Amino acid sequence: MSTPLDPPKGNWWDIPVNRRESIWLGIAGAWSLAIFGWMSGFTRFGDQNPVGETYEVDPDEQWARTQDYLDDAETIEIDGREAVIPPDDSVYITGYRFAWEGLPVALEAGRQYDLHLGAYDVQHGFSVRPEDSLSQQINLQIFPDTEWIVPMTFEDPDTYHVICNEYCGSGHNGMHGKFYVREEL
Amino acid sequence: MKLLSHFDNDYDEDGFRTCSVTGLNIHQDAERYVKIYGVTAVIALVIGGIFALTVALTRWELFSLVSEQNYYRHLSMHAWNILIFWMVFMEIAILYVGGPMVLGRKLPLPKLAGLGYILMLVGALGVNWAIWTTPAGADAPLLTAYVPLEIATEFYAFAIVFLLGATIAALPFFAAIWLEKRGNPGKTLPLVAFGAFITSIIAVQAILGGLAAFGYAFVWRVGIIETINTGIYRQLYWIIGHGSQQINLLAMITVWYFLTHVVGGAVVVSEKVSRSAFVLYLFFINLGAAHHLMVDPGVSVGWRVFNTSYAFYGAAFASMIHAFAIPAGLEVGRRQRGKGGGLFGWLTSAPWKNPIFSSTIFSIILFGFVGGITGVLMGQLQLNMTWHNTFATVGHFHGTVALGTSLAFFGLVFFVVKTMFRRDFISTKLAQIIPYFYAGAMGIATLMMMYVGILYGVPRRTSSAVENIPGTDFSLSAAELLFIPLGLGAVLAIVAGALFIVVTVASLIFGRRLEPGDDGGLIPDGGMATDGGITAEDIHAADMRGTFTMCLIFMATFVLLYILNWFLLTQLWQIGA
Repeated sequence: MSTPLDPPKGNWWDIPVNRRESIWLGIAGAWSLAIFGWMSGFTRFGDQNPVGETYEVDPDEQWARTQDYLDDAETIEIDGREAVIPPDDSVYITGYRFAWEGLPVALEAGRQYDLHLGAYDVQHGFSVRPEDSLSQQINLQIFPDTEWIVPMTFEDPDTYHVICNEYCGSGHNGMHGKFYVREEL
Repeated sequence: MKLLSHFDNDYDEDGFRTCSVTGLNIHQDAERYVKIYGVTAVIALVIGGIFALTVALTRWELFSLVSEQNYYRHLSMHAWNILIFWMVFMEIAILYVGGPMVLGRKLPLPKLAGLGYILMLVGALGVNWAIWTTPAGADAPLLTAYVPLEIATEFYAFAIVFLLGATIAALPFFAAIWLEKRGNPGKTLPLVAFGAFITSIIAVQAILGGLAAFGYAFVWRVGIIETINTGIYRQLYWIIGHGSQQINLLAMITVWYFLTHVVGGAVVVSEKVSRSAFVLYLFFINLGAAHHLMVDPGVSVGWRVFNTSYAFYGAAFASMIHAFAIPAGLEVGRRQRGKGGGLFGWLTSAPWKNPIFSSTIFSIILFGFVGGITGVLMGQLQLNMTWHNTFATVGHFHGTVALGTSLAFFGLVFFVVKTMFRRDFISTKLAQIIPYFYAGAMGIATLMMMYVGILYGVPRRTSSAVENIPGTDFSLSAAELLFIPLGLGAVLAIVAGALFIVVTVASLIFGRRLEPGDDGGLIPDGGMATDGGITAEDIHAADMRGTFTMCLIFMATFVLLYILNWFLLTQLWQIGA
């Protein structure tokens, strides 16, 4: 056997591999393929995939669309705050320094909505969790020049909190918004 | 230069000397530049370490040391000095060790080594200056300098200068490999030189991405182009953002092979397998740049699944190969010398009092179990939704870089103090405890980062979230308790890091000079090389059952954490088309 500081002698390629190392290669190789297969398969049969249609959009257009949506929407008072009730299944949430346009929004539990995620200025992070179960949280990256339409169905009525988790400037730590998910609106 | 002459060794008339530990023929130019790059790396570590303290004491909201207006400058200083400057200056030194020194050659093109150094230094100083002069409340770069934030134009310019410098600094290494292969056709490179060579190719890929990303942002900032595309910048940026960490990974693995051999007596159990693993890295590891784009809009599912898995986990497979091959080399090498029987006797009887050995082994174990496993988990398309930009991500890369690479480099710096600066440690006892102290403290901090991120969704890159989110009653105060071990672990790890610096610097200045021939107590018990070695016929007689058992424990941990992460994910509401 050679050292790592000297050139190996002779025909080193043809020296057989120790049995235990061969077995490990088999285990590691099988595991590699297995986790690839699971990840790939989950995009077909799984319920949690960061997947949705995307469109290039300039910030002015994003602003116009969000405003149209807000004009069409009704509002409801929850916990002393006005929340948007989306006119249909589309929910516009647009980040800007340092707030979320379109939040708070009131949603029905168990109904699938299309979240239209975007930003007016810089990148933001869309980080959501229900108030009563902090370990259930998801995080998506938001671009200023792209609209991302991600369907979501919130099963459990709760108040969901959105915080920005991409640095977007000084003041970023206060960028917060809410969803109210209720059985009925 | 005057200062460095204090550390000059005696060379023969051709400028060579023989290392009393490794037996390598070392040329004075190569040695001088390894020292210069190494010392500069340590200075960057000091600066980055100071900001580690201010960052840690801000995130630990019991103290909230730095205000929101200033915090991001501190975070940027910490990131660039440790993740980039400490690492890349060390890596150039590693290339000069892995190339000219291991091959017993002169350092070719020494003027380029000097020019590269000057450019890297100017770039590093300029980046520090650009970050630090960012007015309070203005956009700080952080590590990523994401557009369209309005980050100082000079920042991008100096980052480009640094990358050009690193490219030039790598040229003497490439020349050494070229000359070696031209002069000895048909001769195989030693494994360490081969590893360094693959590292350097990956580095070039990463640097090209970096030049493209920072160049693109620069021409936008100076007004040559009017708009900049967020997604394109992110794709270009992560070629270097992730690629630079792959340089760290390969450099670290090369250092593992090197140090387990020179201070532990490890052999190479299969040249074929270890080299194939490096080749897998060459082809696949930089696809991992996609890890950062898993929850981005605008990239297709197929693109994300293929790239994030390094094409069917080719690079993760390579890492698991090294995870077996390196401990197996140590096991076989020590068993051949009759050092330690039973399942783990070879390991328990190893030179644990040698800090170079202990930091290498902790680096291997902690990188694998903490950094490696989590990297694969969070790199899965769907799991990434629960990791992305949470504190758990920060935990992951402290597992890889702060535990894995930094510990390996601590060992290497100690090795250079003894073998190139030829100084004994100012206090052997103090040097001995550093790897244990640092690995323990940083290990706790890293695990806590992951817990607060995954279990409480605490975000990264913010000055406050746990005690106080301005403008709302909501906070993540449930995570408060875990910040006590996190904060204490981080502060203690910084103390351990400071101790490392003190021992290194004090040894350089006040340490006893090691005379030629003195190995400084580094040569492993029973010598470095084994008698006779193993031939093709008796490879199967070599006993690797200790390593095999450890790898099975590793795999069981991996599978368990994989299932746990997926279980947590499937508890979420329905997301995605």
